Amino acid sequence: MLKRIYVDNYKSLVNVEVPIQEINLFLGENGSGKSALFEVLKGLQDFVCNSKRIKEVFPTERLTRWQDSQFQTFELEITGNEGQYKYRLVVEHNPDMDKASVKHEQLLFDGNPLIELETNEVHLFRDDFSAGPTYPADWTLSAVGAIPPRKDNTRLTWFREYLKRFVIVQINPSMMHSESPRETSAPTIHFENYISWYRYISQDQGMTMQLIAALQAVLPGFEHFKFEAVGEKHRLLKVYFQSEDDAPAVAYAFDELSDGQRMLIALYSLLYAARAEQKYTYTLCIDEPGNFISLSEIQPWLVELYESCTEHQMQALLISHHPELINYLLASPVGYWFERESNRPTRVRRITAQSEGGLPSAELVARGWLNA
Amino acid sequence: MRNYTQLVILCEDRQQEVFARHFLVTCGINRRRIRSLVAPRGLGSGEQYVRQHYPAEVRTYRAKRHHLQIALVVLIDADTHRVTERLQQLEEELQHADLQKRGNGEQIGLFIPKRNIETWIHYLQGETVNEIETYAKLTREGDCKPAVAKLAKNRRQPLPQDAPNALQRACSELSRIL
Repeated sequence: MLKRIYVDNYKSLVNVEVPIQEINLFLGENGSGKSALFEVLKGLQDFVCNSKRIKEVFPTERLTRWQDSQFQTFELEITGNEGQYKYRLVVEHNPDMDKASVKHEQLLFDGNPLIELETNEVHLFRDDFSAGPTYPADWTLSAVGAIPPRKDNTRLTWFREYLKRFVIVQINPSMMHSESPRETSAPTIHFENYISWYRYISQDQGMTMQLIAALQAVLPGFEHFKFEAVGEKHRLLKVYFQSEDDAPAVAYAFDELSDGQRMLIALYSLLYAARAEQKYTYTLCIDEPGNFISLSEIQPWLVELYESCTEHQMQALLISHHPELINYLLASPVGYWFERESNRPTRVRRITAQSEGGLPSAELVARGWLNA
Repeated sequence: MRNYTQLVILCEDRQQEVFARHFLVTCGINRRRIRSLVAPRGLGSGEQYVRQHYPAEVRTYRAKRHHLQIALVVLIDADTHRVTERLQQLEEELQHADLQKRGNGEQIGLFIPKRNIETWIHYLQGETVNEIETYAKLTREGDCKPAVAKLAKNRRQPLPQDAPNALQRACSELSRIL
């Protein structure tokens, strides 16, 4: 489980530390740095798991504008694999030359090093923390990401597999493609690749059956999905709805569904896929999950998510301005308030007891009285 | 089992919600038909929240009950009061809002743990309890589920004699809802 995020010198995030729980709701005004935190997580995932270069994931333009320092620091603390991981990355920027390089990258397990990149050298350690090989670093790529799995580095590869299961999305149904060229194991930021991802997760038949049953309850008339071949490899996802009077079910292309229907399918798919994962806990980071869906559908999804998180089946970080979501979740101590003045750093505060008069939490947010 | 289009839980905190929701789902209520109104986390305000919202919920229930299959489940801790005092307070809230007393045929269930919901949970988990002391909150609210499920499955059996009085009373209240 992700326990802590630390960020320094990235956009408005200056020396910011956020403790993370099983389920978390990030609240705050527009521009207060909530989505920037998700960007950091996505950047770290792309850097470590997807072999992206440092300049691509943390470009120099994202240095905090009013800071003189050219160094950015990112840290993650994670419990899992029967221990505690601490990952640290320091990026050095050279704005004049438009260059970014890895100054320091380190992964610790229970305080012992598993790998360390320092001054152009990588020091690798085995699972028993004995020193392994030392070799020249490529300061544009992640040293953690470059290590092939072996029998004596299972702790390091566990961390990478865990990080792969961060799902960081801001779902936009109208951007979801109706056709899939291939299976994909990870959702893209706006879930454009939903169908490709569904092709991947639907290999788990048990999970798929549960998902279909859930969607039948959520979407009136929904029967099932069916892939239709378009050419050799491409697939269209057809969605079948019941007809009246025992007539055959009617098929719709995925992009013929409404935005709300596609959003619901995406949200329940994430929930059921994450719940089905046995070895690594999924971390769902969803920006505005309440968008597009009807009021009556928010709480049922949220209750399932909340239960799954509190039963340690997954972890969730949510950003939302939706009253329904705020009111339900803030009955538990899961809220964080992000705030900043113009050109000032983000401050993050835990939302403590907020009500003595019985006003709904969302109303307090709207009035600016939360934590006041 | 009644086939509700909506069953509303009005309660003081998340622990009460988890308890009530799991009980109802185990009894066969469709989980998607359950809607919760949980008091915002605050300084001892949960009981006040329930009392404040109770008349509006009753008014709406009465306006809609003829067209819809609906029910209202209210949970409010007795705390240091007697259960009958809490019932009286809820009745007074209706009076102040110019509403009739709760009728016998209304699907409005009032569940009043004494001293609070943790008393019931600790009892259901096999401990000897009384209704005066306070008992520790659970680390995770969901940890009550196995005990709650057992209570739900055995709901037609009489409770053992050592069961808290408030829980005995709550079980008799169930017939309004289930």
